[in-house]
Amino acid sequence: MKTLFSPNAQPRRLVFTTMVVAQVALLLLLWLFYPMQLFPSLGEVVRSLGDLITTQGLIQELWASMTTALQALAVATVLALGISYLTALPFFRPIAYAASKMRYLTLTGLTFFMALMVSSGHQVKLSVLIFGATVYLVTGMTSVILTTTQEEMDHARTLGMGEWRSFYEVVVLGKLDEMLEVVRQNFAIIWTMITLVETLYQSEGGIGLLLYKQNRYLHLDGVLAIQLVILATGAAQDYVFVLLRRVFFPYSSLGTA
Amino acid sequence: MTAHTYAYESPILTLQNVSMSFHNEPVLRDINAQVLDVTRPGMNQGQVVGFYGRSGIGKSVLCRIMAGLIAPTAGTVEVGLAQQAVAPGMVGFVQQRYPLFDHRTLLDNLLVAAERKYAPAEARQHVDAYLERFCLAPHRKKYPAHLSGGQRQRAAIAQQLLCSDHLILLDEPFSGLDVAMIDELKQIIVEVTTMDELNTVIIISHDIVTTTALADRLWLLGYEHDAAGALVPGATISPQHQYNLAEMGLAWHENVEAEPEFAQFVEHIKNEIRGS
Repeated sequence: MKTLFSPNAQPRRLVFTTMVVAQVALLLLLWLFYPMQLFPSLGEVVRSLGDLITTQGLIQELWASMTTALQALAVATVLALGISYLTALPFFRPIAYAASKMRYLTLTGLTFFMALMVSSGHQVKLSVLIFGATVYLVTGMTSVILTTTQEEMDHARTLGMGEWRSFYEVVVLGKLDEMLEVVRQNFAIIWTMITLVETLYQSEGGIGLLLYKQNRYLHLDGVLAIQLVILATGAAQDYVFVLLRRVFFPYSSLGTA
Repeated sequence: MTAHTYAYESPILTLQNVSMSFHNEPVLRDINAQVLDVTRPGMNQGQVVGFYGRSGIGKSVLCRIMAGLIAPTAGTVEVGLAQQAVAPGMVGFVQQRYPLFDHRTLLDNLLVAAERKYAPAEARQHVDAYLERFCLAPHRKKYPAHLSGGQRQRAAIAQQLLCSDHLILLDEPFSGLDVAMIDELKQIIVEVTTMDELNTVIIISHDIVTTTALADRLWLLGYEHDAAGALVPGATISPQHQYNLAEMGLAWHENVEAEPEFAQFVEHIKNEIRGS
């Protein structure tokens, strides 16, 4: 028990799990017995969740949003890796710099330009998501690349590796685990954007549109139910990324405290 | 004090008029030094060069120049029996924190180095031999983060030896090691230098006693004064600061630290460093 309140302590797994379960239970109990005026009760949210699943196709909408999100993430990751790795060549550094700064652009204005460039609504949605995710990923990935030290590069060079081979060994292979971490952290951005983009292009549905409708008709219980579903999906995705990192990059967590 | 029989043959490392400036500020000036292949009857005797200098004097810069990682502003560095201009990969360089590729296992770290020089099957044989010789065989599947400091250091030395052409630079190899680990590393350096006649280890260290005990040659990097007594910018290794310990009868003794001549010499070196 004492370890839970000691700085940098490492409580036993059982103690920590029990603490988390107790905290969640406390939160649920508070929600159950002391509902706030404006906040829907736990029972209402659960009922609304059931209704959303059975009558409004929540699962199908979630699946549609998730496949779009994954599609956008895959393309954005490839693009961002390419742009970031090209910073090895001074010629491409301004492009990475500009790409990174484009994260300040607003999506609403951007969708207009995208709509002029591509034909279908799905394409607009996808290209906006890809753009949005790429600029955030480039920012994270270039900062990972910038952590490369002269010692690391010199080490590769002293083994007789040329400049490209050294870059491949130290930056590409050596930091692939950190790149995966950047992708994991920025996946959340796509979920933030997807709810907005789906309301702009409503023909394909999606969980964002469902959320928008619940919001519009002031179904707060429904809004909360959908937000909780998105939260759970995000948490599950995070877990999958951690699992992938553990499986493909087992060395990754060895040096951490 | 016992002097061993020895002779000198071809040059292995030659620094000729090496100078280095950064933003027109001289850091190193006109360095001329040479390591010759020393031979002793009936055995492989490599070379150990101790290399001292005060902190911030430019030792690391000279190391990077000798390793071919940066080109000097002026002068040349030639290595090997063919005395070729140095290029990255010709000289092994074990940096202070013993870098390894953290994303590769120990075996892969050594293989990636060996495959720069040998065909895959031959590389594997060399790696296996080094793993045995450096007592690392049981750890071959571990990642560097799982290795102890001593194991990591041995692995870094083995990795550099597998792909360099006999010359290896060790930057502060004794710092942060306990007495037992220092003894272990000394043993490894002796092993490395007796593995091949041409193997040459250059030790950059602040541990004067340990390094001098291992070395057969010493270089002291310091500043010179002009006729008016003013400091000449840019550190150098002047001829009087290149010591031949074999000639002095202080090289290759098992317990040289216990000899009074050795203690006197170490004191002399310390005074020279203080005055430099």
